[in-house]
Amino acid sequence: MPASTAEAALTIRNLWIRDREGGVLVRNVSLSLPRGGVLTLIGETGSGKSLIAQALFGMLPEGLKVEGTIHLAGQPPIPAGDARQLAALWRSTLALVPQEPARAFDPTMTVGRQMALAGMGEGEVASSLRTFDLPEAVGRAYPFALSGGMAQRVLVAWALGLGSPVVVADEPTKGLDADRVTQAVSALAALARAGRSLLVITHDRRVAEDLPGTLAILRDGEIVEQGESTAVLAAPVSDYARTWLDADPRHWPRCLRCCDMSSLALSAHGLAFAWPGQAPLFRAVDLHLPRGGVLAVAGPSGSGKSTLGDILLGIRRPSAGSVEWSGVDIVADPSAIRPRRQRYQKLHQDPASTFVPHLPLARQFLALREVRPGLAIEREMPPLLERLKVRPSLLGRRPGEISGGEAQRLALARILLLDPVAIVADEPTSRLDPVVQRETMSLLRSIVDQRGLGLVLIGHDRAMLRAIADDRLELGIAERAASSSRLA
Amino acid sequence: MNGAPGPAGPRRWRPAACAAVLLGGLALLGPMLAPYPPDAQDLMRVMEPPSASHWLGTDLVGRDVLARVLAGAPHSLGLALVCVVLAAATGMTLGMVAANAGPTLRTAILRLADLMLACPGLLLALLFAGFLGGGIWPMLIGLKLSLWPHYARMAEAIATGALRENHVEAARLAAFPERTILVRHVLPPVLRGVMPLATLGAGQAIMSISALGFLGLGLKPPTPEWGAMINELMPFLAEGFVQVAAPCAMIVLSVLVLAVAGRSMGGSSDAREHG
Amino acid sequence: MTASATSLAGPLARLVLGRLGQALATAALLATLCFAFVHALPGDLALRVAAARVGDERVTTQTADRIRRSEGLDRPLVFQYLHWMATLARGDLGRSLVTGQPVAGELARHGAFTLRLGLAGWLLSYAIALPLGIAAGLRPGRWLDRATTALAVTLASLPSFLVGLGLVSLFALTLRWLPPAGFGTTAHMVLPALTLALSLVALSIPVIRNAVVEVRSAFYMTYARVRGLSAAAALRHHGLRNAAIPVVTFAALQFAYVMDGFVVIETLFNYPGMGELLVTALIARDVPVIVGAGLTLGFAFALVSLAADLARVWLDPRRLREGRP
Repeated sequence: MPASTAEAALTIRNLWIRDREGGVLVRNVSLSLPRGGVLTLIGETGSGKSLIAQALFGMLPEGLKVEGTIHLAGQPPIPAGDARQLAALWRSTLALVPQEPARAFDPTMTVGRQMALAGMGEGEVASSLRTFDLPEAVGRAYPFALSGGMAQRVLVAWALGLGSPVVVADEPTKGLDADRVTQAVSALAALARAGRSLLVITHDRRVAEDLPGTLAILRDGEIVEQGESTAVLAAPVSDYARTWLDADPRHWPRCLRCCDMSSLALSAHGLAFAWPGQAPLFRAVDLHLPRGGVLAVAGPSGSGKSTLGDILLGIRRPSAGSVEWSGVDIVADPSAIRPRRQRYQKLHQDPASTFVPHLPLARQFLALREVRPGLAIEREMPPLLERLKVRPSLLGRRPGEISGGEAQRLALARILLLDPVAIVADEPTSRLDPVVQRETMSLLRSIVDQRGLGLVLIGHDRAMLRAIADDRLELGIAERAASSSRLA
Repeated sequence: MNGAPGPAGPRRWRPAACAAVLLGGLALLGPMLAPYPPDAQDLMRVMEPPSASHWLGTDLVGRDVLARVLAGAPHSLGLALVCVVLAAATGMTLGMVAANAGPTLRTAILRLADLMLACPGLLLALLFAGFLGGGIWPMLIGLKLSLWPHYARMAEAIATGALRENHVEAARLAAFPERTILVRHVLPPVLRGVMPLATLGAGQAIMSISALGFLGLGLKPPTPEWGAMINELMPFLAEGFVQVAAPCAMIVLSVLVLAVAGRSMGGSSDAREHG
Repeated sequence: MTASATSLAGPLARLVLGRLGQALATAALLATLCFAFVHALPGDLALRVAAARVGDERVTTQTADRIRRSEGLDRPLVFQYLHWMATLARGDLGRSLVTGQPVAGELARHGAFTLRLGLAGWLLSYAIALPLGIAAGLRPGRWLDRATTALAVTLASLPSFLVGLGLVSLFALTLRWLPPAGFGTTAHMVLPALTLALSLVALSIPVIRNAVVEVRSAFYMTYARVRGLSAAAALRHHGLRNAAIPVVTFAALQFAYVMDGFVVIETLFNYPGMGELLVTALIARDVPVIVGAGLTLGFAFALVSLAADLARVWLDPRRLREGRP
């Protein structure tokens, strides 16, 4: 429950945000951030969490109507609609760690000079960079030279250097891979240790777990649960929180089965790949994918996971090694690809992008008849769509007009119509919300079992891979070599 | 924050289609609408002001100005449209070939385009027209030469981007033939990018042709080309304002129609739609 | 700083050399085109050269033959081509067929006039376009923005010779404030420079306006404000440089466009610049002058492109890193 106003650094009371037509985007949200404490606001895409941050800074997009009060320690309460009064608190009271760090920097000025422009002395710049383990050279670099994770930490360092007592971090881990997430979260924790009151807005439960303090779960603009972080995570009260937490791959039941290793959908031996003039991404990779089996390929970004997937699909040639499609080596004999092309398919990370943007989906499905002459699409589609839980009416739309989960199931439907032997899925759910991710994954798994096809699942969420896969291949980046490990 | 890109609906194309019909129709049918033959002289009725029989008056040898303005449409307008269509087609073909080709051919095409872009456009047209005499063909070749690299560069950039799209990869994996992929996946975005540029380019070409005519380096005076007509009638501005203003107005209106159509397709100078 | 400076020196040198190479390639292409034109013209080349040297009525077969031998016109085309290129490479542009003067001298004289006119028109255009474009960009969608956009579209739809004609009939023929044509005094410069400026303004206003609009809505500007910078300070430190990138690039390129425009404008105003020289030479078929003017213009265009690239690199450090200007 909200702590009393006296000791709170920031209190938001009865915040409502409505769109132009009066539709409610944020419903009666009250939040309290204790002085020197951490409040994590977590919710899915579209839950309205970023709107709350924007309202706090008086930066809501034009046309949105806002009600409620915002109370910062030492200030009189401010009506949430008063952008001018809120803007007066920028820097003196409020600091922002914005999402998308790439857009937050002036691209034509060195990082250090931008920090100095905000009134930080050279020593302060250096010391705040040091606090976050950033090399001093970062100050002399142009923003384009920073990696996403580094830019994110520079923003956190900057917020520390500005000295504002309340810091709002909006999606501080968006687009970072697992290792960088840990770094970003520890940077935020350091900020809290330095005595700043921290409001973190995120969709990522790892952030909530690793930060102390209070947790509020937001759904459709409404807070469904709020309380001590560890308590909420351990024993959620609301149904939604429970479903949502169960969607965490670490809570999925393990899939334990044995596959028939005698009929391989796909196998590879001694694979290596290097970009021209560079050290090899990986070498000596062996893998075996039986029909009905799921092979996980894990590794940090840049370790060559997607490249490996493309090699297995025959759309990129390896530097060395062989790839066998049902026993035929397609590296030694590329002409073997053509007759088997449709049997080896790919599920993309961004499913909507696999459809031509300007054509209705139905036409794109009907076009499959051009490449599969015998396909009775009118007869095969309805049961398939039902199996995938896709409403047939969606087919009348264009790819931009359906949700990510729908797009992924339609992409899967199109692939299945080609009757594949094996599918390479390249992070197929990394852009989906947890609940949808769980549904999609279990659907994928059941289709693999039912149709007896092989699935190569590329991902970086080890917990999810462990839950769904029979076998796992780990590509490393540090040792520049691959190691294959059989799951126990 | 990020506004939905929105599908390229048919509405954005309507102004352009109207402009094409209007100007194309004028270029094709103009001479048939002319009330008199454009070169019928009447030395008894020289530099007459507008009247019921000669709506826009007569010129210095008694020819009907309205007839000449209409008969000039195929030269001033039609030539420009043909020029741009040819240049855009050449540029798009070469650009898409470059996007699909191996590195050698690709570099060759792009280098050639750069080289041509490095020459001032009107200079090439002038050289062609000047050396080969002011006929239609030299001008057409000269203008086309100076225009195609723009389209080639743009088509190459868009096609290269489109070929990297996931839907192209998905289509290749589904074993669609390359020709289908080019037509269905690559051509539409290329056309969407090139069309506004071509519309604006047609306006530029009209201006270039009339400028050449005005300088006496384009189509020569007996031909009723608008620029040449202005050149011919200029000394008599005081006596025949309407006669001079008519071809001027035709040029300006044609270019304006094209400019408005081009802008409605998103072809203003900020061609950075993909942000 | 030193580290980044050395790492940028390589790409910078590549950029400059690349542009210079392109300028030379352009010149070579133009020279080749001209050579092809000269030889593609119908009739005997030797006869034409003879006619130009001694006058039409005194040409005999003997003079033509003598010229054919002395000029090497009887040798294979490849030799003639190489000879032609070598002569040009030495900077020897020959003599005008009409006046008999060295082409280089004529080019220098006319070029100075053009440079003066071009510079005046270019500066004048930015004196008009910068305030209008910035004002329009700071308040997008307001009446001033709409008005300037309409003005720009209209101006862009007017061929420069029409703009010139309009200005002449207004200021010279009707009001009689300024001379309609000629050269020598500042008053003579006003109308041509204004004509040039107006045709440039048509294109630069939208570029300036869009640059300002884009920078204004960029998140780094908002973020600078959130960090406590005043609106003016954010604009000064972060806005100006970023907005200047497209504008400076375009301004430099437009200087090259000036070269397109002045051919028409100089002829219209009877102003003795390069364009007028080129058009006169084209009408008179004065081949050496045409070639010389064409080469000079092509080379100048390439040099201006180089200047544009350098300005862009100086303003935007990302350019070198991406490896393409």
